[in-house]
Order: sequence, then C-alpha cells, then structure tokens
Amino acid sequence: MSEKWNITLKVSRQKEGETPHFDEYKMEVDPDEYVLDAVERVWAFMDRTVCFRHACHHSTCGACGMRVNNVEKLTCITSIRDMCQDGGTLKVEPLRNFPVISDLAVDMGSLYNRLEAVGARSVLPVPEAEIEKPASTWDPADQQYIRLADCIECGLCISACPSAATSSGYLGPAVLAGAQANGLKRNPELLQLVDAEDGVWRCHSAFECSAVCPSLVDPARRIMNLRTQVFTERFSRLFHKA
Amino acid sequence: MSKPHAIIVGAGFTGTATAHDLALRGFDVTVIERGDICNGTSGRTHGLLHCGGRYAVKDQESAIECIDENIILRKIVPGVIEPNGGLFIALNESDLAYRDAFIAGCQACHIPLEELTPAQALRLEPNINPKLLTAFLVPDGTFDPLRLALSFAATAKKNGAKFRTYSEVKSLILDGQGGVVGVNVLERASNQTHELRGDILVNATGAWAGEIAEMAGASVPVKPSPGVMVAYDQRFVERAINRLNTPGDGDIVLPQRRMVVVGTTSFEIDDLDYVPVLEEHVKLMLERGAELIPGIRNARVRGKYMATRPLISSGSGRSAARTFKCYDHKETHNVDGLVTITGGKATTLRAMAEGTADVVCRKLGINAPCTTKDVLLLSYRQYYSLPN
Amino acid sequence: MEKPSPDKFWTWFNPVGRETGGWAFILNRVTALGLTFYLYLHLVILSQLATGPQAYDQFVALMRNPISISAEVLVVAAGIMHGLNGIRIVLTTFGFGVTRQKQLFYGLMALALVIILFFTVRMFTA
Repeated sequence: MSEKWNITLKVSRQKEGETPHFDEYKMEVDPDEYVLDAVERVWAFMDRTVCFRHACHHSTCGACGMRVNNVEKLTCITSIRDMCQDGGTLKVEPLRNFPVISDLAVDMGSLYNRLEAVGARSVLPVPEAEIEKPASTWDPADQQYIRLADCIECGLCISACPSAATSSGYLGPAVLAGAQANGLKRNPELLQLVDAEDGVWRCHSAFECSAVCPSLVDPARRIMNLRTQVFTERFSRLFHKA
Repeated sequence: MSKPHAIIVGAGFTGTATAHDLALRGFDVTVIERGDICNGTSGRTHGLLHCGGRYAVKDQESAIECIDENIILRKIVPGVIEPNGGLFIALNESDLAYRDAFIAGCQACHIPLEELTPAQALRLEPNINPKLLTAFLVPDGTFDPLRLALSFAATAKKNGAKFRTYSEVKSLILDGQGGVVGVNVLERASNQTHELRGDILVNATGAWAGEIAEMAGASVPVKPSPGVMVAYDQRFVERAINRLNTPGDGDIVLPQRRMVVVGTTSFEIDDLDYVPVLEEHVKLMLERGAELIPGIRNARVRGKYMATRPLISSGSGRSAARTFKCYDHKETHNVDGLVTITGGKATTLRAMAEGTADVVCRKLGINAPCTTKDVLLLSYRQYYSLPN
Repeated sequence: MEKPSPDKFWTWFNPVGRETGGWAFILNRVTALGLTFYLYLHLVILSQLATGPQAYDQFVALMRNPISISAEVLVVAAGIMHGLNGIRIVLTTFGFGVTRQKQLFYGLMALALVIILFFTVRMFTA
C-alpha cells in the first residue's frame, strides 16, 4: 500500500473581470504523485470550474508551468513530496508576466511570437541540441539525427525573471536562448533584434531563468554566450563594411 | 450562399486536424474545447510516429494507414518530428518465431524494412540489449504531441477556423425532430453560457465521444482503454526501439528530447476524467523497458502518466482494431446533424480528418476534395499569434 | 500577477523563492539605491558647507561621532559590494565563470566582507 498524505491545495482563482483570490481544497494524495495530478483531481472530483493548462504530462510540451509555493515549476514532473509535507499546504498560482486567461491558465502568445521572431529551432541536429557539449566535441556520426530542442517553451524562465517583470518588451530568457542556439553567424539579421535595449542587455544577471528551467536549457548561460556573439559580430563588422 | 458552419467538439488530434481539413474545403469552422489544446488523450500520447510494423501482422488495415500517414506527416509537419527511424529487436526464441510473419506482414503493407545483424544494430544503437538476436530497421519516428496538434490548429486558424478553448458543451440544441442544430457552450473563463448554431456538429472527443453522442440520444461503441507510460531522464537511443513480437505491454521505448519514454499498458476504467497511474504498471514498464534497454534500470524516472485510448469496441484491449471510424448518426440512430469520429491513433490523425470531412461534405452535399496531403502546415507557434 | 509593467519594480526586491543569482540581483539593486541616495545627500551637504568655515567645522565635528561613522561604513560597504557584484556581471558577460556564477558570487562577497571589515576597523580607529 502506498503512502498517503493529507494536504491542502491552495489554488489561485481568477475569472474574467475578477481580482484573484485563493480557494482551498483538502485532499488525500500519494506524496509521489505530481502536483499536476493533484490539480487535475480537483477539477475531476471537487471543482469543475478550475481552469489549467496541461497536455503531455511528461515534460515535453511545456503547457503545465505554474508557481508552486512561490517557485516556478513544471507541475507534471514536480512531485508533491518535493514541495510540501504531510498536513502541509501546496500553493499553486499561475505563471507571472503573462496575462491570466482563467485561474492557472495563462496566455503565452507573447513568448511564442518572440520565439518565432528569432527563428528558434524546434528540431535540430542532435549534437547541437545540448549546451554542455561544445561544438568541438560534436561527433560527426551523430549529425544525421534530428531531435526536438531542449527548450519546451514552458515560460517558467519568463515568470522567474525580475527583468521580465518590469519590461513588457524584453525578449526574455527562452527567446534569447533560442537566438543563441540559432547563432548570429548563421543568422546575422538577428543582431538588430538581440543587440538592443530589450535584447541581451536587458538581462541583469539574476540567473533565475537557469535556476527554474526544467529542461537544462540554461538560458542565462546562453544569454551570456549571445553577448559574446554580439561583441564578435559587431567587432568583425567594423572591418568588413557591407 | 454563405459558407457552411461546422462546429467541432474537441481540440485533440482529430479535432484540430478536422478543423484544418474542413477550413481548406471552404467551411466556417468553430472548435469548442473544454480545456486547452490537447489536454486529454492526445496530449498524453506516447509520441510514436508509427511505421505500421506494430500492426503489420494482425491489423494490416491500420498498418497501411500508419505507413501512408507517416510519410505524409514527415512532409507536411517536419518541425515537430524526430525522424530518426526505429528498430524492431528480437531478444528470445518467441521473438524470433515472429520474424517470418513480421517480414511477410511488412511486405504486404509496403513498409520498408532492412534486417540488421546484432552487431550492425549495436553500432547504430549502442545502448540496446546486447543479447539481441536480430533487428529490423524501420521508418518510425517520434513527435511532440501538443505541437503536432498546434500545427494543424495554426493552419486551420490561418484559413479562418475559430478556436474557443476553455469552453465546455453543456447540452445540444435540437430541432425537435431529433436533429442537432447547435450547442450550448459554457465559457469557463467568464462563467457565461451561450448558444452556437451550425450546419453540422462533429464530435471529436475521442474517448469521451459517448458522452456527447448521448446528449443527442445516440451512442458510439467506443471503449476507453488507458495505458501507462514512464519517462526516464536519459536519451539512450536515437530511434524508437520496438520488441519484435505481437503487441504487448511495455514493448516500445521512444527517445524524446533528453528522455526515453517506455510504454504502454492497457486496462479498463469507469471514470474517464481522472485515471490513476497504477504503480504496478510503472514497475512493469521498468521491467519490460529494461529488457530492451538495460540502462533504464539506472536512470531516474522523470514522469509517470497515462492516456486513455478511444478504442472501437469490436474486440477487447489489444485485440481491438486500431483503425478509426466515422459515424453519421443519421444512419446509426436517425439523429441528423451529428457526426462522430473516434478510434484510430495519433499517426493517422490526418486520415481521420479526411474521412470525417468526406462524411460531412457528403451529408451537406458539398463537392470539395481533400487537399491536406499536400499542404505544408504552419509553425505550431503561429496558433498563438494568429487572430482568433 | 499579470502582464509585465514598470510599476511592478517592487517585485525586484521580493526574495521569496529566489536562488543565489536572484539574491545577487536584489543586493545589487538595494546597494545601487543606497549609493544613489548617498550621492544626493553628499551634494546637498557639500552645497551647505560652502556657506563658510564655521559650517565646515561643525559638520566635521558631527561626522566624528560613532553613528556617523557607522553610516559611512554602510556607504563603503554598499560601494564595495556593488562594485564587486558588478565585476561578477562583467566576468559572466564575457563568458567567464558563467557555470560557476554562484561560487563566483560567494567568493566575491567573501572578499567584500574582508575589505569591509578592514575599512570598519580603520575608520573607527583612525
């Protein structure tokens, strides 16, 4: 028989035109269940009006990002055990810096638009996919394989970023990471977009994006690398006037 | 004459693909979805772009659908697919005994096949069980479930389709003679209910198809059959690894991003809206998955989840055909204005949409051929940027 | 908690749920505001000192008491922390220590502490 905990799920609620408030649901859970399972059960058995976004339930789609006890989490892979104790409270809120559609569901259109604008690749050759493997170590035999990018476009980084909180125009960590993976060398036209006030220079090195990223994209490191790319590109343009 | 208005209930694979097909054929399309795109079965799909090999022996109709659609999807929606192929591997005598039937089946279904020696297979995939006896290379792939549906939805939107998410069908509007003329929709974001009328209602709710059909006094022989999947946090392989045998539990391991996903099981349930992930099934996935890829034993579980297949109940569990069916309820229960599409699987979503749109066009006397085989889909991201 | 907007600047200072990089960010904002405030104070006082030698002597006497010295220590501390934090940002911007930014921050703050202690002792004993 698996372990059982009694917890209180405190869910942020907001319908159109309302100010947000919390509703509490007392429930029995298996601590090794994921936070998303608990939210889904609230909808299935306790309150059909709760709205939330979810799809793949195994960290490949990026739909179920929420703030759990004040930290951005991909709820489908965050176990309840990691977030609270038996008898404890699990506070679940929508991501910040996105308009709330209803309750826990947010509109991530701005993120998707910007990812599209920098041409972030959704699939790419396997060796290019992982940031910890620099180009010099790529195995040419792996080049033939294509895989989905690490970034699952979940928006956790945008929600955690203090700069994104105050500048609606800031491209944001995931987008800059997408531009970095694309590369300024390959896409020189991106320079204008990223070498701008709302581009790489809006980042103030809080590294919160990398702390919350569920997918090891390490956006902060990619932003720093993109800055180096910007320097290199600007420097080489000094000598090669178009 | 104004465009005919089709209301589609459900924004999973069939709903979004049917919206795309009907929009191309000149319909005004409104999709009603109680959650967000792909929040039910479709989102939680295993993610295998089937080559058809799995069904080539016992269910050749499905197998042929799979290989045909596999080739089409690679062409029209490359941005959401890992097109790296797959292996069927034999690990024991029983697997080997299946070999001849598998070869014959694949040939009959024109599934391209290349037999590899164990050494050749291990060179391609060093992490598979080194005790394998033989292997076949097939054109499998992996896809991202949500983004596959979003790509269809984005293109449908571009062609005028409207998507009303977080909108739940509360009841159907009937014409007094048993026909369906619209739906009463609850907008869950504002808690307001209103009417939506159309010329045809397409019930694309998959495993939930019976619930909508019942509102019109019709029924659908759909048997919801959930299966458990487990994701591990290491990408052991580049290809889908299948067990060379009759379809069974935990006999497919898929790569996806940094993970591999082992699936799946098959059981029966009562409550569709929440299906628990059974711990003994999770253990079984580890056992069976580790037979294919021993390294899984040392990997960390990243996610455990389940999805409910909408099987057409001609058989039970795995013996049920995996093909799809489109029901015109005028023919089944004398209910006009309602069509149900269910069954099938993710790989065949475009074909399911084509079949459904054909039925819809026939019912409404519209002569418009299907063109979705050749239309390159927009980036899934455009679903969010295009106006609704 | 909806769309980004400049009037949510107070969220910069919210430490709840933050990690090392976030604390560094908060520290940098707080010390920056402190130093800016000090700069204004400094200019105001300077302009008043210009009224004559008596005002100058009075002010120097005021600055000799321990409370004033403590305030000055705070200014020095803020300057050192802000400066060293800035070095962290410059280094990471140029690609140095990005994967070790936490250690870099703790190392620099340890260094800051040593320097601040040195100045504290000097200022109180001079």
